[in-house]
Parts: sequence; structure tokens; C-alpha cells
Amino acid sequence: MHKKQIIKNERIGEQYTYVKHPSGLDIYIWKMENYSTTHALFGTKYGSINTKFKTKDETDYITVPSGIAHYLEHKLFENEDCDVFSLYAKTGASANAYTTFDKTCYLFSCTDKTADSLKILLDFVQDPYFTDESVKKEQGIIGQEIRMYDDNAGWRVFFNMLQGLYHNHPVKIDIAGTVESIAEINPGLLYKCYNAFYNLNNMVLSIAGNIDEDEILEICDKHLKPNKNIELETAFEDEPENCAHAEMTGRLEIAMPLFNIGFKANPEKGIQAVRAEIETNFVLSLLADESSDFYKKLYDEGIINSSFSSEVFWGDGYFCSIFGGEARNPRLVLEKLKTEIERTKKEGLDEERFDIIKKSYYGSLIRDFNDAEAIATLMMNSGMEKLTAFDIIETVAAVTFNDVTARLKKQFNISNSSISIIEPLNKEGAE
Amino acid sequence: MSIKYNREKISDGIHFTTLLNERQKTNTTVIHLVTGLSRDTVSLNAVIPYVLAGTNSSFTTLTALNRELNRLYGSVIKGTVTKVGDSQVLSLMSGCINDKYTFENEHITDGLTELMLECLISPHIENGGFFGKDFVLKKQELLDDIEAEINEKRSYAFKSAALRIFENEPSAIPVKGSLETAYAITPVSAYQQYKKLLKTAQIEIYFVGANEPVRSKEIIKNAFSALERDYAGDNSSALSAAKAQVCRVTEAHDVAQSKMVMAFKTDYKSTVVLKLMNAVFGGTPFSKLFMNVREKLSLCYYCSSGVNDKKGVIYVDSGVEHSNAKKAEDEILNQLENIQNGNITDDELENARLAIINSWRGVSDGARSIADWYFQRNYSNGSESPEDFIEMLKKVTKADVIDAAKSLKLDTVYILTGKEAAHNA
Repeated sequence: MHKKQIIKNERIGEQYTYVKHPSGLDIYIWKMENYSTTHALFGTKYGSINTKFKTKDETDYITVPSGIAHYLEHKLFENEDCDVFSLYAKTGASANAYTTFDKTCYLFSCTDKTADSLKILLDFVQDPYFTDESVKKEQGIIGQEIRMYDDNAGWRVFFNMLQGLYHNHPVKIDIAGTVESIAEINPGLLYKCYNAFYNLNNMVLSIAGNIDEDEILEICDKHLKPNKNIELETAFEDEPENCAHAEMTGRLEIAMPLFNIGFKANPEKGIQAVRAEIETNFVLSLLADESSDFYKKLYDEGIINSSFSSEVFWGDGYFCSIFGGEARNPRLVLEKLKTEIERTKKEGLDEERFDIIKKSYYGSLIRDFNDAEAIATLMMNSGMEKLTAFDIIETVAAVTFNDVTARLKKQFNISNSSISIIEPLNKEGAE
Repeated sequence: MSIKYNREKISDGIHFTTLLNERQKTNTTVIHLVTGLSRDTVSLNAVIPYVLAGTNSSFTTLTALNRELNRLYGSVIKGTVTKVGDSQVLSLMSGCINDKYTFENEHITDGLTELMLECLISPHIENGGFFGKDFVLKKQELLDDIEAEINEKRSYAFKSAALRIFENEPSAIPVKGSLETAYAITPVSAYQQYKKLLKTAQIEIYFVGANEPVRSKEIIKNAFSALERDYAGDNSSALSAAKAQVCRVTEAHDVAQSKMVMAFKTDYKSTVVLKLMNAVFGGTPFSKLFMNVREKLSLCYYCSSGVNDKKGVIYVDSGVEHSNAKKAEDEILNQLENIQNGNITDDELENARLAIINSWRGVSDGARSIADWYFQRNYSNGSESPEDFIEMLKKVTKADVIDAAKSLKLDTVYILTGKEAAHNA
């Protein structure tokens, strides 16, 4: 019998099940009555930033070329006999995989034959197969993918900003790596990284939909290969507090300058990081969302347009707040933003708007519980941080105005920002 | 899981459709104003939903309206404009959480309905036109959007290809118009066009939620029955005829990777058969195009096909190194020929069928997707549910798929490529 832990939330009247499987895997199951769709994710805490690691059998950290996590994702989709898509074709599931900065996830979504699709998912992710020949072929496909992103202005402006913010942290490098770094990849390196990061103790299975919990666990018993805990540790080069470059610029064939402005802050972990994210989101809303006086003023003056937005971006070893959009004069946006941050630090944030922003934030989180994909993703992301899927909504409900004011003072240092601008090819300056 | 569908006429050319499913945690309302695409009105129409979604006569600034929406638990009101066949669709969408999830049992759904209708029927106006200061900004955004289309090369290639695919048909007109048509709009001309649309356009309203929206329905009915109407009639789209000679265009831009769009025309009658044929051809990641053009031959980073059933077009969308463009085109045509010659395995056919069934079953799980499903059906004078389509799909034979493939005629090959490559080509 599995030891099931029920994780409940009174506020929204929902619950799900957590099982620590004997194989080492963390399993999260959320039953959604009356839904057609089931969404399953099998993920590892392994993303593009994890290029330096060791296991308990090794004394020193090793460093590997950029882009291996993403490369592995591509290669696992191809097993010894055929492409994984052809296996799913027989169950009708729609399958995919993605690699982010700190995780790699394999997923399917289906309305029938969930058990068969789950078997496929568990089997192929646990069955690596790399040869010199197949690794070479993939270099062509991934090379094209990297080139495709070279033309993507939104992607470029973002990575240029990360290069402005970070001296050493690998978050500044494209998730797919570079044409040069992927040229260094060989089957030996792929196996080395696979064995370290695809250990089930480093992985999570998350599944939401119209499913039978016991059937899911039975399949897991049969298809998961027990792993011993290798006590994987990852590390990063030391990252200075200040930014690497105050400004980064580039040119592409676009119509209007695109910009990203980043404010670098100290990274946090676990529930502290979630608190930091939520409180920072409140700060961003109060400072510069569509209802703020600041937004209205800049919008009315034509300095920004409706593409202007902000977000928090964080992970293992990095945390920043980003403002971005299109503007004829991005440097003017930065100047106005710095002035507004300084003014707010002195005069205080708009307390009247705090309560309605809280309602709005809370309402947007409720909406996520409509959808199997959003729920499965939420369970996976929070599970990887050793948190519950309800921690975010409860933290939002509990945040106070004082927390948010303290966060503004702590997190927004105007001398620690970097602006990235992509300008149109045919114009000399943004002015 | 099935959805309770109810469609009723509430005025001349105006229908209100409810789509109820008890598990919904949110309420979504969509109002579509459907009208013919025409160069004279395209940019006027394109700006209207964005103007309407930003303010109304009670909340006269974007800031004030947004604050009210935040107060209603982060409710949203959004404007969009899309193209369906030869029609332009101006939409206002609103969404909120179900009242029972509010902190203190507040009635936010009916409040949001009122707010949305006020946006639609009682906009912020001055001097016989939309409020000038806001309008100037929305107009600038429209111009910026049109200019920014070049930023995303994949969709840009698609829009440029459409100009050729639908030459001399309304569907060729870009959904927001051109810089020229957008420059010409004024607060007064847009307002007059808006007044005209409220009178003449086909109006389709959808509500998706857990419970019958008793009070919201009343509010909507009252508002729309008070409108003075002079209905112009239902919209429809004409199938696009194949050109006598294939249209070939290569455009040069500063890009690293070329984009190729190929279009085939068909007058095949059954949408369901076309969808299955498309799934076998290039509509899934185990289709002939994906397995051969992308995986086996590594000719493209992406290569997939889609159906525009309103216009009778199957298109193939690919990202390709320029030096491989000809090879990729030949291989795409070769794969189509394979289907036409009946080289389809039972697995290929059944897997394609399963993939479509899977996606149609999932339609009713999402508020937007189910509202859009019924709008697309209603537009084509149907009201079939996803389940009805699944039953039809189950009956489609291999011979039907071959027939559908045989009806395809190559019409356009559009390539967007690097300047270097175009020069050497």
C-alpha cells in the first residue's frame, strides 16, 4: 500500500494526493470530476542553468557545456525503435516536452486511454538511447532552432537583458545553448547528465483530470525503476550583487524599439522565494500596472503603449523584476521608472489600491483551478520547490501592505538595473 | 462531458447562446459583431473593440475602468478583432470568477455584465465621435500593431501569403487593414461606423458558466432589445477558387531562417473529412509532413498543415534553410501525392482520427474554446456539438480521405527569405 497524503484547501474546497513512491519519485494526483481532459507531467529539476553538479560519489563539481538539458529533451523523444510521437499516436494523446531554465518536463494531454499514455510517458523518459550518429543528426535540428530564435526580437531583447544583469550565472545563456556549445555534446556527456538528473529522487510526476488514483499508482509500481538516492548537488559560480552592464543594445528587422528593463535583487529559496515573488508582484502592480497613475501618465504622453508590462523572474540563484514593451524612446521609460521608484520609496505606495489588487490577484489564481493543464503544472512547480499547490493562493490572501512596502525598499535598487534595447535596422537612434 | 447548449433569438440578427457546465469556476461572456471584410471599413472596425474595451460613459478613463475590474476580483474586459473567412469579427470578452469564490459572497457576475454592456452600448464620446484623446492612442496602437507585424516572421509570412492566396477576395484583407487605411480613421468616422454596426451587424452573444445566468440574461436582453435595428443579414464566406497558374512569390528580409507557406485549394464539401485528411498530411506530430520532411530528412525546423474550412484552403507552414526550400517543396508535394495514391496505412488513418477525437473532446473543458466552437458552427449555420462531429468523424473512410486529397490544387508558394539568399537564388 502507498502512503497517501491528502493536501486540502478549505478556501476553494479542493484537494489532491501526494505519494512518495518507493522508487524515489514524488507523485501528485488531482482528481477532477466531470472533466474530459487529463494532463500529465513527468519532470526533472534539470534546466539550462544546471551546468555544474556533483553526486555523493564524486568529490569535485564538474562543469558541462551549455544546452545539454534541452538536448536531452530532444533525444529522449526518440527511443531505440521509433519516435515517441508514434507511440502516443496509438492512444490519441497529444504529447510534448519543454525545457526551461530550471526544469525539463515531458507531458501529454488526453481524453481517453490515460493508462496507456502514462505507461508510454514513464517508459520513454526512463529509457535513454544515444549514439554518435543520432547525436550528430540532432545537432542540425537544434542548430536550426537556435537560428530561429536569433530572428525573434522578443527572445533576443530578454536574453540581452539577462546578460546585462548577470556576470556569471548561466541564466544569461540561451536555453538551447549556442551553436558552439552544442557542437561539444557527445553520447558520453549526455549519459553523464542523464544519470545525474534523471534519477527519480530528482523528479516529479504530476497528473490532473478525470482519473483513477489507484490505477495511476499501480502503473507507477510496474513502470518505475527504483533509483538509489545519489544526493545530487548543483552549484553556480559566485554572482556579484551588481549588474554586469547598464545597457545592452542590438538591431533586428522590427518596426519600433523593443526594450526590457531589469532590476536585480538577491535570490531566495522555497517559500521565501514564493513570498518574495508575490510581494514583488504587488509592488509591480502598485507601481506600474494599467490602473496606476504612473502607467496612465506615460501612456497619455505616448511614452509607452499597451504593450508595456512587468513581471517577476526568478529561479535557483537569480531574482529580478522586469519591465518591458515597445517604446519610441526606451531610455526615457527607464528614467521615468527610476524617478517613480524613488518617489514611491519616499512618499509611499498607493495604499487605497492594495485591497483591490489583492482581490484581482486572488481572482486570477482561482481561474487557474478550472483547467487540468494549469493544475498539473501548478502541482509540479510547487512540488519541485517542496511546497503545496495552495501555498501561493494562501500567501496572496495573507499579504499585508507593510510586507509590500518593505519589499519595495529591499528589492528595487535603482542603481542596480540594466536596460536592453533592440532597435530597428533602418533607424539610427530611438529618439 | 456534455455542455447544455441553448440558443435563442433576442432581436433581429441577434442571438444569445448559453453554454452551461456545473464545474466551471468562472463566468465568461463573449459578444461578437460580425460584418463583411472590406477595405473601406476594415481599420474603422479594427479599432472599435479596443476603444470600447478601454472606457465607457461611467468609467471615462482606462485607469478608472481597470480599478473597477480589479475590484471585481480581477475581472477582465477585452477587445479583439479576428477574421473568419470573408468576415471581420469584432469581439468583446468578459470574464470573472464565480460569485461563490469571493471573500464575502459578493455578486460580481451581474456587475460585470452591466459594465461590459455599458462599454458596448454607452461608450465615452464627445462632439459626435469617440473621446478624442483616447481615440488618438488607440489609433496609434493600431498603427503600431500593423507596423509590428514584421517582428514575428512566421505570422508575417502567413499574412503576406494570404494576400496572394485570396487575391481579389475579402479574405485577403489584413484583419487590421493597412497603414494607409488606419491613418485615415477619425473619432467621428469610427463612431459612425460603430453606430452603423450596432444597427446592421450580425450579433452573437455567448455565456459560459456553471449556472443559468438569470439576472445577467435579463440585463443583456433588455439592452439589446432596446437597440434600433436595420439588420443587414447573416454573414457567409465563399470558397476560394484555385488559380489557373500557381502563384510564386519570394520576398527578401533580414532573417536567418526562411519561412515557406504553400496553399492548396479545394471545393470538397465535408469539413470533417478535410480535417482528417489534414491530420494525416501535416496536422499532427506523427503526420506525413512531420515524420518525413522534418524528422527523416531534417529539411525544416517546423512543417505542419492546417485547414481553413470557410475558404476551402489547406496550407502548409514551414521554417526552412533557403538552400533546402526547393527540396522541401518537392517533398511536401510528394507526401500529398502519397495520400492521393492511397499510400496511407491503417495506423496513420486511425491515429489521425484519434488525435482529432482527443482534441474535440477537450473543447468543452475550456470556456473560450467551447464558446469559439459554437460560434464557428453558428457562423456556418450549424449547431453541432463536438460530440456530433466525433460521431461523423468515426464514419469517415480511407476512400473519403483519398477523395479529399485528390481535390487539392496547389495555388500559392510564398517564401520569405534572407536578402543574401534571395540575391543568390
